[in-house]
Amino acid sequence: MNILAIETTGALASVALIDEAGQVSMETSDQKMNHLQHLMPMVDQILSKRGLEINDLTYIAVSEGPGSFTGIRIGVSSARALAQALGLETIGVPTLKSFLYHVPEYKGVVCPIFDARRNQVYGGAYQWSDSKIKEVVAGDAYDLNGFLELLGQAFEPGGAGQTLPAQTVPGAAEPKAGEVTFFGDGIIPYREQIEAWQRASSNNNIRVLFAADDVRLQKASSIARLALELCRSGTLKSLYDLKPVYMRKAEAERKLEGK
Amino acid sequence: MKNNQFITLGIESSCDETSASIVAEGRNALSNIIASQIKVHQVFGGVVPEIASRHHLDNINTVIDSALKEADVTLNEVDLIGVTHGPGLVGALLIGLATAKAMAYARKKPLVGVHHIQGHISANYLEHKDLKPPFLALVVSGGHTNIVDVEGYNQYRILGRTRDDAAGEAFDKVARVLGLGYPGGPLIDEAAKKGNPHAVEFKRVYLEKDSLDFSFSGIKTGVLNYLNTQKLKGETISVEDTAASFQLAVMEVIVNKTIMAAVNLKKDKIVMAGGVAANSLLRGMLKEACDKKGIGLYHPSPILCTDNAAMIACAAYYKYQAGIVDDFYLDAYPNLAL
Repeated sequence: MNILAIETTGALASVALIDEAGQVSMETSDQKMNHLQHLMPMVDQILSKRGLEINDLTYIAVSEGPGSFTGIRIGVSSARALAQALGLETIGVPTLKSFLYHVPEYKGVVCPIFDARRNQVYGGAYQWSDSKIKEVVAGDAYDLNGFLELLGQAFEPGGAGQTLPAQTVPGAAEPKAGEVTFFGDGIIPYREQIEAWQRASSNNNIRVLFAADDVRLQKASSIARLALELCRSGTLKSLYDLKPVYMRKAEAERKLEGK
Repeated sequence: MKNNQFITLGIESSCDETSASIVAEGRNALSNIIASQIKVHQVFGGVVPEIASRHHLDNINTVIDSALKEADVTLNEVDLIGVTHGPGLVGALLIGLATAKAMAYARKKPLVGVHHIQGHISANYLEHKDLKPPFLALVVSGGHTNIVDVEGYNQYRILGRTRDDAAGEAFDKVARVLGLGYPGGPLIDEAAKKGNPHAVEFKRVYLEKDSLDFSFSGIKTGVLNYLNTQKLKGETISVEDTAASFQLAVMEVIVNKTIMAAVNLKKDKIVMAGGVAANSLLRGMLKEACDKKGIGLYHPSPILCTDNAAMIACAAYYKYQAGIVDDFYLDAYPNLAL
């Protein structure tokens, strides 16, 4: 089995291949925001590096969003067309959740935030629990302060973020209660606000970390790993059901409704 | 190949129509599926790029399926994929392009990017089986107003272009201020039939002597000023008369410049293309002027005047015949030059 994973929701596009054993390889573009131009050549490169033909693909997976609207569409329309041309099923991979695969066996809360401008973010918070993904804060479009408030609530006694994983992996670092690592391009504009939030007395039980540059943004390898999990759990879609997850209406629609 | 005929799949998504078509031997449209978004954008009074892009993505794969099915052609039998790569709304263009590129790559088909205007002109090859270049083309649509010297299937020279609004754009704007709605072209055409085209003398803008360029922003302002003045005077406004007078002022300039170009270049054929080529007044006036000069006039049927993929497939076919093929780095160019 070979799953092709496409990631075009952020500033840099990447593609990855994963087989049933979970072996992943990835190609990343060095061209910012030129996904349309470089996507198919990248697919060609990764296939030839793995010694595969396009017909060796079993499923087409794509990072479905949130992220750049245009970026999401390039990925989803390319994935749909590949599936249409090859007669394959697709896997829609939630972009925010895929960050759980950025740092293997991380025990804290993974919190990707994408800058949606005007103090808005697309964000979510997730954590491994019993080898299953636990949603600490559901992925959605938020006002940054509202999002941080939800995140803080999750760490209050009885909150979702405080439950530690029952199984610890040998050799892995001891889980730290209340550790959150922020990912995504939202770190850059909102870092200070997040640090201020953490310093507030009600949140002083939370340790905030920011992802290192090399794991900060979306990566097709993580999309591929989550795609393999979704595939194992039977979450396959026909290409016609593969839809972008924008999490926000078009501005013109919002304005019209606001009238 | 199907029945020994060369099969082209055309894809168009440059504005608000998602279209796919199967064309045999470059000239024979076996299917031409058009999913129009006019109703979607009507409530906004014009095309909203983000919403158009979303709808293109929702529709494109089923539109391609329908085009194949209606033509009774399989993807295997497709020899070439042609797709609009500009000009147009970039977010809209890229849906067709991403789709065409992925399909061409996956099925190892040659890929050709087509200029939207070349597509509009090529619509005439589908309609008129014997038509061959050279000829003079008049391209008038919501986004374009061009007089083009077509010297060969792949040789184009733009002689005149709009310096501000496209003709169709001016129609949309005037239709809006007249309260006729969107899209303006057909609505003004309809209203004008009941009006007096000489009721208001709007200024005809010819620019410099011998210029083949256009300017339509002035007449739009002219209509606005007229309406305001009438309102201040407390006079009633006839929407039909205003529409008819506006339309005549625009078309007179277009017809005169087109005929001037044809005469100067000694062209014996004029080919109309684009959405406004479906306008009844323009067709009638140009026909009369062409008849006087002994020039042949060609135009596509209304369905081939709108944005459609059959015209893109046709243009792609002639590019491919000339040895033009694009690689998989093909990109979208919102301001692509012809």
